[in-house]
Amino acid sequence: MTDDGRIDGYAAALFEVAKAEGTLDEVEDELFRFARSFEASDSLRATLTDESIPAGKRQAIVEDLLGPKATATTTQLVSMVVGSGRGRELPAIVDRLVERASNAKSLAVAEVRSAVELTADQRDRLTAALANAVGKEINLKVVVDPAVLGGIVATVGDTVIDGTVRSHLDQLMSRL
Amino acid sequence: MNVLSLIAAVAEDEEHIDQSHHWLLPETYEIVFGGLASLLIFGLLVWKAGPLVKKGLAARTERVQSQLDVATKEKADATAEADEIRRAKGDIGAERTRLLAEADGQAEALLADGRQRMEREIADLLAKAESDIAAAESRGNDELRAEIAGLAAAAAERVVTDHIDRDTHQELIESFISRVGASSGGAG
Repeated sequence: MTDDGRIDGYAAALFEVAKAEGTLDEVEDELFRFARSFEASDSLRATLTDESIPAGKRQAIVEDLLGPKATATTTQLVSMVVGSGRGRELPAIVDRLVERASNAKSLAVAEVRSAVELTADQRDRLTAALANAVGKEINLKVVVDPAVLGGIVATVGDTVIDGTVRSHLDQLMSRL
Repeated sequence: MNVLSLIAAVAEDEEHIDQSHHWLLPETYEIVFGGLASLLIFGLLVWKAGPLVKKGLAARTERVQSQLDVATKEKADATAEADEIRRAKGDIGAERTRLLAEADGQAEALLADGRQRMEREIADLLAKAESDIAAAESRGNDELRAEIAGLAAAAAERVVTDHIDRDTHQELIESFISRVGASSGGAG
């Protein structure tokens, strides 16, 4: 089986489990956040993909990290992926799961990065604004990323709408 | 005449002999017999030894002539060789002169070529040095500019980070939502 096929297989399995549990939206959101944290943290990624660490120990680390913050389904799914030695492919599996869940609801995935957490009202209004901008219903995924410094950057498919302080600073740097 | 009388006659002659008429000249008959005998011997010599002597003389003449011919030939050869040596000596002198002239020409050409090459290399080195200096200057300027830009950006980031409070965050978020909401069917 190719890597792509394997990623699809894992994503489909996770999707079916979350759907059967009736916690698809919540699990999808938690998995998305964890995948972004996994991508952002070198030490977390190195630990969870280190084959020299026994699978049980890696799974215990996942449970310690997610246990108090996420649903049991999310913790178990991440633990299963890491335990099977597919930790390196976790972000791709989660992205495929989110895409699959969005397609099931005919939604476009919008990844939004903000320096601070958005309120529910801001999420709703941002969802509506993005839907208006791209002409599709939106499945909003918010990632709190202090690196943007301030403002928001939204990615919907190939479209990037950047209103962050970071991008302004980068433009300033390039002009300098 | 019997034998006794003949002997007596001879004895008488001997007495005459002993009693020659001249102290230096022989008797006439001695001259006659001696002359005849001499002529006979001389004739025999001429007859028998003459051809041998003549042949020996001819051979000697021929040998001497041959030696003279050889000597003449050797002299001619020596003269020719001397001429050849003189000519070769002249050729060697000319060749030496030609070689020296050629060597001088080649040395001159090499010097000229080396001088030109050296001048070209010096020009290239100078151009490269100037180019390197310009590049280093430009690189230095670029690095300095990048350093200044980096410091300015870091300072700006620091200032922004220090001055963005909760209200500013909210204003930025609201501004973004408003801007995106105002657009339709596109992205900004």
